Amino acid sequence: MNEILLSSEVIVYLLSEAVLYLLLFIAAIATLGILKGWNFDRFTKRQFDLENRSYLVMSIIFFVLGLKMLLLPYFAYTIDALSLLVPGAMCAAGVIDANDYGSPLLLLKIIILFLSGLWLGINRLDLEEKHYPYMKLKSWFYLLLFVLLSVEMVLDILYFSHIETTNPVSCCSVIFGEIGGNSLPFGLDIPKLLILFYLLYALLVLMLFTGHYLVRIAASLFFAMIAYYSVVYFFGTYIYELPTHRCPFCMLQAEYHYVGYLLWGVLFSGTFLAIESAVMEGIFGRDALKLKKISIGLLTLFVLLCSSYVGLYYLKNGVLL
Amino acid sequence: MIRIEDVGKRFGEGENLFEALKSITLEVEEGECVILSGISGSGKSTLLSLIAALDRPSSGKIVVEGELVSKLPDLHASAYRAKTIGVIFQHFNLIESLSVEENVIVPLINSGLDMPAIRKMAEQSMQRASILHKASQDVASLSGGEKQRCAIARALVHDPKVILCDEPTANLDRENSLRFIETIQKLHQAGKTIVVATHDPLFEALPFESRVIHMADGMIGKHGE
Amino acid sequence: MLSRSPFLYFLTLLLFKQKSKHLGIMSISVVMIALVSAVLFISSSLQKTLQDTLDEQADFTVTRIEAGRPVSTPLAWVDKIIEIEGVSEVAPRIHGRYFYAPGEESFLVVGIDFFDEQGSKALQSLLKGIDLKQFFAEESMIVGEGVKDFLQKHYYKDTFSFKTPRGEFKKVKIDEVLPGSLNLLANDMIIMPIGLAREIFGLKEDEVTDITFNVPNDAEWDNVIGKLHLVDYEIRVVEKREVEKAYENLYNYKGGIFLILYIIALLTLMLILYQRYAMVYSHERKEIGILRAVGWSIRDILKLKFYETLILVISSFVIGTVAAYGYVFVLGAPVLIEIFLGGANLENQVQLIPEVSFGTLGSLFLLYAVPFFAAVLIPSWRVAVIPPKEAMR
Repeated sequence: MNEILLSSEVIVYLLSEAVLYLLLFIAAIATLGILKGWNFDRFTKRQFDLENRSYLVMSIIFFVLGLKMLLLPYFAYTIDALSLLVPGAMCAAGVIDANDYGSPLLLLKIIILFLSGLWLGINRLDLEEKHYPYMKLKSWFYLLLFVLLSVEMVLDILYFSHIETTNPVSCCSVIFGEIGGNSLPFGLDIPKLLILFYLLYALLVLMLFTGHYLVRIAASLFFAMIAYYSVVYFFGTYIYELPTHRCPFCMLQAEYHYVGYLLWGVLFSGTFLAIESAVMEGIFGRDALKLKKISIGLLTLFVLLCSSYVGLYYLKNGVLL
Repeated sequence: MIRIEDVGKRFGEGENLFEALKSITLEVEEGECVILSGISGSGKSTLLSLIAALDRPSSGKIVVEGELVSKLPDLHASAYRAKTIGVIFQHFNLIESLSVEENVIVPLINSGLDMPAIRKMAEQSMQRASILHKASQDVASLSGGEKQRCAIARALVHDPKVILCDEPTANLDRENSLRFIETIQKLHQAGKTIVVATHDPLFEALPFESRVIHMADGMIGKHGE
Repeated sequence: MLSRSPFLYFLTLLLFKQKSKHLGIMSISVVMIALVSAVLFISSSLQKTLQDTLDEQADFTVTRIEAGRPVSTPLAWVDKIIEIEGVSEVAPRIHGRYFYAPGEESFLVVGIDFFDEQGSKALQSLLKGIDLKQFFAEESMIVGEGVKDFLQKHYYKDTFSFKTPRGEFKKVKIDEVLPGSLNLLANDMIIMPIGLAREIFGLKEDEVTDITFNVPNDAEWDNVIGKLHLVDYEIRVVEKREVEKAYENLYNYKGGIFLILYIIALLTLMLILYQRYAMVYSHERKEIGILRAVGWSIRDILKLKFYETLILVISSFVIGTVAAYGYVFVLGAPVLIEIFLGGANLENQVQLIPEVSFGTLGSLFLLYAVPFFAAVLIPSWRVAVIPPKEAMR
């Protein structure tokens, strides 16, 4: 057994994921039963049992989603803690790049959170109706989610068992630095990136009040992406107060008052709610005013938070980086 | 108000199949008081629980206040109970470790009202059921008659349109039974729709207008039969 | 807040009126949480202390080896090492274990040079607040708490007689005792002027135990190692990062073993929980039947059970960790600390320096809360969906 698998954080993380997976597995079996035997027009005891069983499925998903929301930051914390054990890594960026599984795993985790949030939204709609109109839909949707969750579990294990403590990895300054291969997409430079960032924010807020649901979803995703690059390549340097320090992970550390958790949390939840509002209004024809309000609040908070780092730096030092 | 159409209820399967209700059709008008009489096992209690959406029929339809309650998902069935139905059970079914007032507020916890409003409604209901003087006493220490009044207070706290009583006087002495009938009379005068399932002969001759329906073997007999 | 939300009011009402129902689970959980957090607190506190010391340690230590066996190092190497590019703070050291046969114990004797300004930073922090001028004026020593207690037990009140390799006795006065907060490192330590130490270990004037130095630019490290081997073929180089890693792994490993034990205990707790919640008492069943009969939905019941569990989990976690904190950092972790310091020389009374990270607490919480909820979830659902009529029977 290598020392990565023996470190406390990894044991805790993998154990939690495994327990959750066990529950999800039970939910998947229950869902298969529901798909096979569901017929709301029947008066049988079996149908009654299936309805009860659907409550088990939704309890499990609710509970798992809640914990996965805690486990995502914990995952970031774990790999951050591992950077002490992996030579060359100064923060989570190096550890996530320690093998090919890291980055897909992180992306998959975010996607799963988005989809399970959506699932709970559909479930709420289903319960509000008097004949479970979306039972089949949400069951299939869950099975799809379960496949993704299984992939996540496998990637979790592969990722942590394949981190070498002997091979040095790159630190964030190499991965995101000027010398590294990664640079801004679409040939953008910093001023253009920032213009795009604020424009997309304005566009997204506008889109929340129009009926162009697909545009809204696209704008949300695009904004999330540009926001990511803006933070890494511009706003982050003001958080670190160092023009060359470009890293999405270092801001999770105590030196920066864990602001990364807040920043990324606000961005993800704001984007998620914007997408969910589009799905609720566009596909299910529901009113999603509350979702939109919270979404705007979160996105605005995100933009203000980012900008304030620049503003405060300017006030303190009289110059920009 | 309450429309029961061709309702059947079967328990078990194969050899153990037991037909508790066989094709019941019945209509109860708003403000009417209906007494379902019959020996135990005649199906009257099962019929009550179907009206309360505590169980679902195996066939047929039950419509209460325009709502089809025979096939409601749990969330709606419970909302319907919380809004329209007040039930008084034979064994009172109170939570023994709580006080009278705490028992009475139970149906209102998820109503969306705030605590002061709930307390006010509970007080009024306990007043009506003349149990207010015991409000903070634990239910376990109450006498049978007092428990009954506590159960009535709980059944009335959300001001339901329909009141269902399942063998309400089975555990009461004669004096308390008569008191209960007085309460029913008051509720009847207040315009509530009341259905009582009982085999207590006291209900055969009530001092107010009521309809007695005899049940046997899961079927409804003719009036007065 | 409590008086505004009817749900929370009712939840706390049920919890308080039926506390005997939860007492068993609560106490088992609290004990487990307390035990495991105590272990983690001790390990992270020790790790922190060691890390702090290591940070102050020199980057490199070199000694001479003869046939693979460490022997005394020639002082002449100091000049050769100074000449290597990028090297700073070169310091010769004399230290070693002095074995005291009658008591079957050994002390760590460290010699320090009054004029050696750039000497080990670790030692300097040890000697903070001690008047060195007076100390160097006479043949005296500064001892750790463990050494003092041991010597007193063997009737050495103010002085101790060292036996040198030449067979002479050297009487040295005990000048000061190091504060107890340094016990993890300095418990069995004796600090004395370098000349005195040299005499006790029988080293010649031009010999020392080893030589330490720093290389501030870590990109140069491998380069410097190469050059060192050109100084003398009998040289042995120890890097700080090797030592660091060894310690890191040592404590991680000890923590890991406990973690695995804890996981076993946790599985037991899960089983107990599952049993406890699966075996629903009839009055509990009835209670839920009543709630549902008067208009509570399955969802409301599940919500009630969820919050009930949440309160149990959080309160037992808080009680457990606070108890562990008191046990470790106020009482000094009696009994348990022995496991960590087992095999140490001299009886050690380590003072643990409070060191708790959010990460450790977060790990602990997840490790406890996830299985707890998972074990309770399915039994709770089972009770919640029992048809009310059946439940009330």
